[in-house]
This record gives sequence, structure tokens and C-alpha cells, in this order.
Amino acid sequence: MTSAFEELKESKEHLTSLLSEGGVPENFQEKYTEIIDQYFRRSLQESETAHALFRDKTHFAFVAVGGYGRKELCIYSDIDIQILFGPKIPSRAKQLAEEIFYPLWDLGLDLGYGIRSIKDSIVLSRDDFEVLTSVMDARFVGGHSPVYLSLVETIQKKVVSKNAIAFGRWLEDQYKIRIRTFGDASHLLEPNLKEGIGALRDYHHILWLARAFFNLRAPRDLEYMGKLSHNEYKTLRDHLELIWLVRNHLHQLSGRKNDRMVFEYQEEIAKRLGFKDQKNLLAVEQFMGRVHASMASVKSLYRSLVTSHISKWRRVKNDSDDTDTAGGLHLSQGELNINSAKGILSNPFLLIQVFEQSSRLGCRLSMEAKRLVREFLFLVDDAFRKSERVVQSFINIMTEESTFEALDQMYETGFLEAFIPEFGKIIDRVQFDAYHIFPVGRHSLETVRHLKSLSKEKDILLLDIFSDLSNLETLFLAGLFHDIGKVGKDHARKGVAITRNILKRFGYDKKRDEDILFLVGHHLFLVETATRRDLNDEKVVIQCARTIGDVERLKMLYLLTWADSKATGPGAWSEWIANLVQELFFKSLHVLEKGELATSHASQKVRKTQSEVRNLMADHIDDRDLEDFFEAMSPRYLLETSPYDIVRHHAFVRGLKERLENPQAPAFIFEAREEPGQGCWEVIFLAKDRPGLFSDITGVMALNNINILSAHIYTWRDGTAVDIFRVTSPLDPIHPDETWKRMKTDLKNAFTGKLSLDYRLSQKAAPCIFSHRKTPSRPPKVMVNNESSDFFTLIEIFADDRVGLLYMITHTLFNLKLDIRIAKIATKADQIADVFYVRDLEGQQVEDSEQIEEIRQSLVYRLEQG
Amino acid sequence: MKKIEAIIKPFKLDEVKDGLSGLGVKGLTVTEVKGFGRQRGHKEVYRGAEYQVDFVSKIKIEVVMESGLVAEAVKIIQEKARTGQIGDGKIFIIPVEEVVRIRTGEIGKEAI
Repeated sequence: MTSAFEELKESKEHLTSLLSEGGVPENFQEKYTEIIDQYFRRSLQESETAHALFRDKTHFAFVAVGGYGRKELCIYSDIDIQILFGPKIPSRAKQLAEEIFYPLWDLGLDLGYGIRSIKDSIVLSRDDFEVLTSVMDARFVGGHSPVYLSLVETIQKKVVSKNAIAFGRWLEDQYKIRIRTFGDASHLLEPNLKEGIGALRDYHHILWLARAFFNLRAPRDLEYMGKLSHNEYKTLRDHLELIWLVRNHLHQLSGRKNDRMVFEYQEEIAKRLGFKDQKNLLAVEQFMGRVHASMASVKSLYRSLVTSHISKWRRVKNDSDDTDTAGGLHLSQGELNINSAKGILSNPFLLIQVFEQSSRLGCRLSMEAKRLVREFLFLVDDAFRKSERVVQSFINIMTEESTFEALDQMYETGFLEAFIPEFGKIIDRVQFDAYHIFPVGRHSLETVRHLKSLSKEKDILLLDIFSDLSNLETLFLAGLFHDIGKVGKDHARKGVAITRNILKRFGYDKKRDEDILFLVGHHLFLVETATRRDLNDEKVVIQCARTIGDVERLKMLYLLTWADSKATGPGAWSEWIANLVQELFFKSLHVLEKGELATSHASQKVRKTQSEVRNLMADHIDDRDLEDFFEAMSPRYLLETSPYDIVRHHAFVRGLKERLENPQAPAFIFEAREEPGQGCWEVIFLAKDRPGLFSDITGVMALNNINILSAHIYTWRDGTAVDIFRVTSPLDPIHPDETWKRMKTDLKNAFTGKLSLDYRLSQKAAPCIFSHRKTPSRPPKVMVNNESSDFFTLIEIFADDRVGLLYMITHTLFNLKLDIRIAKIATKADQIADVFYVRDLEGQQVEDSEQIEEIRQSLVYRLEQG
Repeated sequence: MKKIEAIIKPFKLDEVKDGLSGLGVKGLTVTEVKGFGRQRGHKEVYRGAEYQVDFVSKIKIEVVMESGLVAEAVKIIQEKARTGQIGDGKIFIIPVEEVVRIRTGEIGKEAI
């Protein structure tokens, strides 16, 4: 016959081997407990010391306490046992312990034992509730049972019944400590299966409270005593079984008592439990979703059971505080109640009204009210979901004071899922990464919570933006729905379609509908643009502004981005990312506020131009090249140029490219054509941009007596300068081509240093006694500002016109080491109104106020000097 | 052996990483950093309140390699990280005395 020790060893090995084979052994904890019990019983029978004690009539009992007492042993759980003696402890007790316990240590079990008299136990339990909890779980294993029964009776009479309230408060404190230390396991990525909120400890709290207050003996009594319905008890057991099973696998994989469900083992356990990867959902994500759902359920049950009793301990008896709040509802002890189940049947609207009241009054639903909601969820059908009254209540909840708390309870009771079935699909979705701390459903609620908290936000910028919004409901609904498409890839786009359905069911009006859909569809847009695009590129910002379209939307999007990131996890909104998103926000805001470039009219015009260019060029260019071509253009060029001209310029751009590859050819394109009936010409000039280029062209024009009427100077993103001039006709209208030819030669010579424009122009001006120089009728005006653009310094000049003036201005700017990126030259009668968009040679705005003043004064001086 | 430290614009990270992988670089370290160079921070005003941003968000990459590869790597980083606009960043090259792979204890070339 095998010894007790060998039997234990074999049985334990057999049991744990079932786990590693991926099996799901039923009642593992009980079976394991049974094996240990069996060992103690057999050892007692075989122990010499035990026999001696019997003969002396020194009665004792082996009592299992803690988890072992509750028959909840997992592989590496501590095994706590006490040898309990009646009046006093004999000297042979130690010998007995050594005889029986030593082999267990040899086996590597974590055995904790105590040798106590009943009196010791009473005193210890009274002083330390932690000891009391373990004694409450006491279970007889072997020896003399009256000793055990006497302990149970005395504890109940002398400790529990006298200290129930203090014990209840102590448990409440423990709960708070657990929140701080272990967090809410029902949505943490690496939940603690034992101590986390929603974990096994919640269930233990339930048992201890029930033992203290209802004298419960076995867990099943929860049902027998009517504290839980049959279904609730059954569901609770199922959830606990899952957590225990997972815990056993975790222990086995870790090779030690490890209760934190670390990433490392999640995939393996998911596999062992038979989860399979699906198209849009990894096995591990499904698995963690199940674990979280179980914990959320345990947590919810704990809260509803316990809060209703905690309020009882606290209650100063006062039954007159029941108040009717609305038909069918009443307040009692600060909690909302539904008057009767019948009331719900005759008026199903109560199901949402109770939450509406909760959001308005800021009180929670009573446990009973929650139970009623759960039981009557079947009344939430299509007609209910579409009912105008219900939708209105829902909208009210979104805008009331305690929106988050109400949504949280709607979520907990399953009402939210019933009312918005689309929400059910994402509730327990877990993303298997270290970035998202919440499953999607919880994350959506957290996003709403952050949005609601904006009215009390300490960050002034966020608070100011929030208070500028005119329609908060849009923002909150977008917050709730922003991730509703997270049933697969490309979730923002999917979310738009799903949200559209929901809003259609709600009977929402079009304009608000569009804003919400936009926010859902673009909730990643700001972060993506800020981190993946160059914010110093004006085109990027203009396109961002055009996509967003108006200031109010931009503000909502910014706040949604912030709340979404905050609700994702601590890593998602670092100062680093906040800086980038904020920069994009401000730059886009400025573009939108300035109007012109990003109005809906501008965006439409650009789209129209692009599609016409596509049509015109369809046969000549492949799509990729055309898109690259659009990409290279400056945003202003695209906005201000007609499709026909764009097509024409495309040929020039290509021509320039060829010339740049050929060192013999002049590195520019120069084309002039007469504008019919206007008495003026259009001149197009293309070259690789460099500081001073524009100045050189205007100089050559002046040299050839060409007066510039207007000009648009664009610098494309690939560094191509595209300059479009309207100029007066050449002096010799019969042979204009000779002038253009001469100009080309002059340009070539000026660019290569063979012609000094400064010298030639001063030569030209000196002997010309006929030039009708007149004193300026008005003093020239020069304004410099950095506010009109985030990318350029703007210089605006108003002055009397004359030949060579533009050369003088641009040359002065060149000497000031400024790079002209964009210029709009206009002449009205004899006055010029020019705007130059300049940057310093580093590519930055001119911010130094002394430098700005220098620019202004030197220009004024040159203009006055003439 | 040399360590290359490069400060680049955040949106250029992928291109630089791909470029370096193409060169056979086995690993690199990426850090989100803030600072300023010629590209200064800026000030924003919203409803009268001022928001001073002193530091610009950038990415720092660090990669250790044999000296022979450095010239090519620097060329790649420069090519990939360049936009021609302000704030394209900088590349530093620093001598490395020794490298030890913690797991195996390998040193020098093998440990990179």
C-alpha cells in the first residue's frame, strides 16, 4: 500500500497533468482540496502522536481555513490549516505538526499552519479582522469534530454578531485599498485574478458579508436565502469557474503562485482554452474579452449586493426620506427605485426614464431597480428603440449633469446594449496591446467621461475651446460612438456607416447628423496628420483645414481627440503628442479663420479644377503622375489657376525638367502670349527657385521697358518657381517677338552673371531726362506682419507706380536676405498694391522686431527716394 | 564602432527606419524627444490667453554600427529625413568603445 504522502503526490500530479493537456478539469479546486483533505485524514490515522493524544483524551481538530477552507485551491495556492485544541495546547502538539506537515513542505507546497486553542482564535479574530475572515471560512478536515463546532459557535456568538458593522466597514476599507493597489480587473490589460476589483476577492467579500449579516453557512445559501436569484447564482458560479480555471493555467505556466494575468501567458492560455483566431479578432482578444466580461459581472453583482447592505449599516433610521421623482419612480435613501414591476409592464418607458432621472439627479439606481431593468430588457424592442420619447430621453441623458454615471449603469445593466445593439458588438472587445487599457465599450464610456469633465477642466485652452462650442450634444454623441466600428479594420470608416444607421433610427436631423458622422469618421485624423505629416508644410495644413471645413468642427475634433487619447491610456496623450496636435490645431484654426484658402467654396473650386484637369489630361498622362503633379503644386496656385492654364503649364513643367537635365540649355522656361483685345501680354516664367530669382526677372523686364501690371508668384513644393505676369505691350508693337527674344538673352546673361542688372538699370535711368518723374502724390505705405500666416511674414506695399519699381522692391528684399515665396502684384491706375510672402533664409518667419522695423524702413526709404 | 544619433521630424521615422533596414542595420532605438534648434518654439494666443510652446516635438533615433557603414547610413538618414524646410534635424556620430549583448555576453561586432 502506498503511503499517504505518495498517494498525495500521485493524485496531485495526475490532476495537474489534466491542465497541461489543455483539458478543462471540472471542479479542479474541489478535487485538489479533496486530495489534500485525504492526505491529512490518512496521516492522522497513521500518526503515532495523534494516537497518543487520543488516548490522553486531549481533543483536537484539523481545520482548513482561508481558500483551503472554501475549497478553492489552485495549483500554487497557499494551504492554510490549523490544529485546534479545546482548552489548551499540549506540548506534543509541535511534534504532531512536524510529523504531518513536513512532508508537504518537501513537496514544495506553500503550507501555512497554526496551532491554537479556541480561546486564541477568538482573541485573534476580534483584534484582527483579517484573521476573522480566514476563521469564517473554517472547515472541518479531521480529528474531533466537536472542537471545530465549538469554535464556529463561539466565533459567531462572541465576535461576528457583536462586530458585524465594524467588520462591514473594515471590508469597505479593504475594497478601497484593493482599488488603489490592484485596480479594476474588469478592464485592466493585465488584471489580477485574485485581488483585483471584479476578481475572486469580490466573491469572498460577498461570502464574508453574508456570513456576518445573514449567518450564511455555504455559498449556495445566497440563493436559498433569496439574496440572489437562481439565475444570478448560476451565472456567478459560471464566471467564477472561468476565473479559477484561468488562474490554474496561469499558476501552472508561471510555475508559481502568480495571480497577475500578464501578457506573456495570455496567448498560451487562450490557446489552451480552445479560442481560435478569427478574421477580425485574435484568439487572445476573444479570451481576454471573456475574462473581462466575467469580472465585470462579478463586480456588478458585488456592488449591487453590497451597496444595498452598506447603505443599511449606515442608515440612520428614517423612512420618511422616500420621495416620488416622476411617475413610477421614487427616491429612497439616495437611490432611485422603480415603484413596481407591474409599472414597467404598463409603462416600458420607465426603463429609460429611470436612467434619465439618474443622470439628472446624480443618484444611482438601487440594486432592486437594476434587477428590474435587467429582467425587463425584453421590452426593449424595435418600436421602443425608435420611439421619439425614448430617443429624447436618451438625448437628455447625454446632456445632463451625470451623463457618464447614467451611461455606466445603462452599460452595467445591459440596457445600453439592448437600446443600441450596435454597442453590444464592441463592449468586451479587447485590443491585445499595451496601449489600450480598456476594452472598447468601456473606452467609449471613458471618452464621454473625459468630454463631460471638460467643463471643470484645469487646462485653460481646453476649457476655453469647450465653452466656445454651441452644440455639446454632437460632441458627446460622437464621443460615445467614435469607436463603434471597432469590429474590424478601418474602424473609423465602418463606424460612420454604423452611426448613420443609429442616427437614422433616432430620427436625427441632417446637419447634426453630418457633424457626428464627420467626427466619428475622422477621430484619428488630427493625431495621424500631426504625427505623419510635415506641419511646416503649408499645403499639409491647408488640406487639413479643408478636410475639416469649419471652425466649430475643428474645435470639436480637437476635444474628441484629446478625450479619446485620455481614455485610451496614459501613454496616448503625452506632452510630446499634445504639442504636435496642438500645433496642427492652431495652424488649421488660423487657416480656417482667415477664410480664403479653406472655405467650402475654395475646397469645391479646387475639387472642380482637379477633376477638369483630370478629364483634359486623361489621355496624356497616367494617374500616378497626375496625382504627383497635383501634389507638387502650391495650394494657392491650384486655387487660383484655371484648368486650361494648368494643362498648359504642365507642358512647361515637363519642358523645364528636360532643360534642367541638359547643361547646355538655359535653365528656365519663358513664354509670352498676347491677351486678345486687352492690349497686354501674359508672360510665364518657370525655373528652379532661388532667393533673388524674382528680383532678376523684374529687373530684366524694367530693362526692356516692360511694365508689370500684375503678377502671381508661386513656389511649388518641389522647388519650382511658377511666375505668371500680366505686362504692358512691348514698345515696338509690330515686332514684339524681338523684345521677348532680347529678354530671354538678358535673362540668361543675368542668371549667369554676364549682365549686371544694377549697373544697366542705373545707366538706363541716368540720362533719361524725359522720364516724367513726379513727386509722389501719396507717401508710400509698408506694412509687415506675422499674424496673417503661420508660415510666412507678409509684407504689403502701397506706392505710386513706375517702371522699375518692382525690381527695386524685390531687390531690396533680396538684400535683406529674404526669400520671396509668394507674391501678388497688382496695379490700379498709377498705384501698386503688392503683397509679398517672405521667409528668412532658414525658412522661418521674421520674428525679430528690430529686423521687421529695418525691413519696413529700408523699403519706405527706397520708395520715397524713387 | 560608432553610434549615430539623429534628431528627425516625427513623420520621417518610417522612411528613415526602412532606409536603415535596407542597409542591413539590425536594430535601433527610438525616443520621443522635445527640444529646439534654429527652429524655435512658438507662442499661440487663444481668447486672450497665451500658450508658449518652448520645445518642438521630435524623434531621436540611436543606432550603433561598424564604422565602415557610417558614411552610407548618414547619407541615407539625410536623404530620408530631409524636407528642405526648417527643423529637419541633425545627425551626430559618436565613437563607441565596446558593445556587450546582455543575453549571451558576446562582445564587439557580434553583439551589434
